[in-house]
Amino acid sequence: MSLIGSRTAILILKLSPLILPFVVLFCGGVFLTVCQSLGIFTPLPHTGGILAAYNIILSDPSFFASFGFSLGVALTSAAGSVAAGTFLAYRVWQLPKALAGAALMYKIPLILPHIAVAFVVLIFWSQSGILSSLAYHLGLIQSMPDFPNVLYSGWGLGMILAYTLKGTPFAMLLILALLVRFDVRQIQTAAMLGASKRCIFFSIVLPRLAPAMHTSFIILFLYSFGAFDIPYILSESRPGMLSLHVFDLYFKHDLARRPEAMAILTLMFCFAVLFIIAYSKTVTHLENGVRKL
Amino acid sequence: MNKFRSMSLLLTLMLPVFLTMFLPVRVTGGTLPDIPFDRIEAQARGSRVSWYMYGGWTHVNTWVDTFVAKEMKQRYDIHVKRVPMDAGVFINKLLNEKAAGKTTGTIDLLWINGENFKNAKQAGLLFGPFAGHLPHVKQYVDPDSITHDFGFPVDGFEAPFGRAQFVLEYDTNRTEIPPDTVAALKQWIMDNPGQFTYPQPPDFTGSAFIRHIFYAVTGGHGQYMAGWDPDLYEKNAPLLWDWLNQIKPFLWQKGRTYPKDNAFLDTLFARGEVAFGMSYHPPHAQNMIMAGSYPDTVRTFALKDGSIFNTHFTAIAFNAPNKAGAMVLANFLVSVDAQVSKFQPENWGDFPVLAMNRLTPKDRQRFETVDLGPATLTPDQLAAVAVPEIPAQYLESLEQDWKTHVLDR
Repeated sequence: MSLIGSRTAILILKLSPLILPFVVLFCGGVFLTVCQSLGIFTPLPHTGGILAAYNIILSDPSFFASFGFSLGVALTSAAGSVAAGTFLAYRVWQLPKALAGAALMYKIPLILPHIAVAFVVLIFWSQSGILSSLAYHLGLIQSMPDFPNVLYSGWGLGMILAYTLKGTPFAMLLILALLVRFDVRQIQTAAMLGASKRCIFFSIVLPRLAPAMHTSFIILFLYSFGAFDIPYILSESRPGMLSLHVFDLYFKHDLARRPEAMAILTLMFCFAVLFIIAYSKTVTHLENGVRKL
Repeated sequence: MNKFRSMSLLLTLMLPVFLTMFLPVRVTGGTLPDIPFDRIEAQARGSRVSWYMYGGWTHVNTWVDTFVAKEMKQRYDIHVKRVPMDAGVFINKLLNEKAAGKTTGTIDLLWINGENFKNAKQAGLLFGPFAGHLPHVKQYVDPDSITHDFGFPVDGFEAPFGRAQFVLEYDTNRTEIPPDTVAALKQWIMDNPGQFTYPQPPDFTGSAFIRHIFYAVTGGHGQYMAGWDPDLYEKNAPLLWDWLNQIKPFLWQKGRTYPKDNAFLDTLFARGEVAFGMSYHPPHAQNMIMAGSYPDTVRTFALKDGSIFNTHFTAIAFNAPNKAGAMVLANFLVSVDAQVSKFQPENWGDFPVLAMNRLTPKDRQRFETVDLGPATLTPDQLAAVAVPEIPAQYLESLEQDWKTHVLDR
């Protein structure tokens, strides 16, 4: 016990119900992933050096294409969700009391699993889908290929749509929780002093909502960067999302390639950690204040 | 500093836990003493067998849950519990159990495909050899037909279960005469842009499709049967990439994207986005017609250049809690009754693994009178163009390089 203070020891002991599962399950998983990416504890004896898998991954241009693409989809959908969520939350908050109950509708997409939302997007937007046949019956298009190719445009629009549908109510939920405690008299005062609606929103409301916006952005961004279910239904083949690439390597290829799958996972994990650190630092720097994630 | 010390202490304390969790433990799979099979049946009486298998086909699931479960209960008093799981997933489950030193697992019997069999056998995840002990295998199956699975020696670690062969599906309402050679198919694709695609390898079906082209454009399958030859592969593979890249701009979505799996292609075909479906299972189209997913006018054809067939197998997990029960089930699946029932398209339509010349005339007639339905090719039609599967190492390289040379080009 001379190693560490007894107070710290007591603290660790008190936290052990939380720390133990975290260390064993989460850290254990990360530890094993990193080990296997280096070719240790692999299902089949690993041939090649300790960094062989990383060499293969980092010398493959398609990995960088997938990485960039995943990044783009995640950034676009997270930014879109937070922007739409903020705007809608502000509007819902302004509704008269009588309508506030009806506005709870926004929680419906929260209940739906990601995969269900992916199917909704697929059924509506594919060239043989609901919107396409509607357009056909209205005489707007003559055949299937006339319908805009939303899902396979090469930009991941289908995934961005699905993630935004799922992410917007989530951002709304976090932002409304802050708005509930927001003092409406601040807005009234500003209005009496002659501030325009736009001015009120940007200089009074938005700074108040920033913490919730940052939090929801980070959560949504990292989720869509690494998640599997929506890409599985909506991703295109090239450039594919990283998560799909890992899935194929892990489940559908020779066991000898297990280190490669684990190397990609390790790189994704490191990226996520670095992103959170960099983002928080930037925000703190910009706001010159202390904020909690 | 204090924080750092406490963290390192914590980690040091945790290390033994990690190590016991993840160090691979050598499990010595019990070998099978030569005991008569009725002793094994007696031992399995009243037990439960967990059968892990691909769960994506409703009709197959129903067949197992009804016919197989009922017969096993009646004949051997064994309760069959079907667990739906993709082969890749249960292989990983077994790997984890092996790494954790779990000598009694949860999986008894596996329905396994060739690539996963190679993986599982190499990683020591299977119990065996056992197939030689099964009376029905000895009695009805031609031993030469089950020596290799995707070019990998079986050595009795798998029992045969069914036969599959690759067919293409088309709608007679839309396409009158199907292009049934590789050259004709290429011409058709170029004449009808946007109406053909294949699932993205490493999907099982898409991977099989590109192997057909590989055989056809490199001078047949014979040269690959001797096993993995890297020089031969390097010499021949570019011919395949050329062919696939030539049709690429004429594919669905201009070859920028491919269906992720067979089910996705089925949907595209059913909705008319593409003109052809494909399946490694001859009765697939008939099943889809019966389920109401395909129009009645759908028929199948096989490529004249050669259509790949394989035998699919069941295997027993190295740590199966009920090895005796698993053997009784594997043996029952090779019985005449089970194979006839499985052959009927309303149940499944999967082809039998039995050698017809080893059956009594009465039993043979039971197979001959099965009506496969109008969409399924007859065993004779299929046998006329059948070519064997390629060794697994070629398959892995083809799937791997397809991404580099076709998808990412």
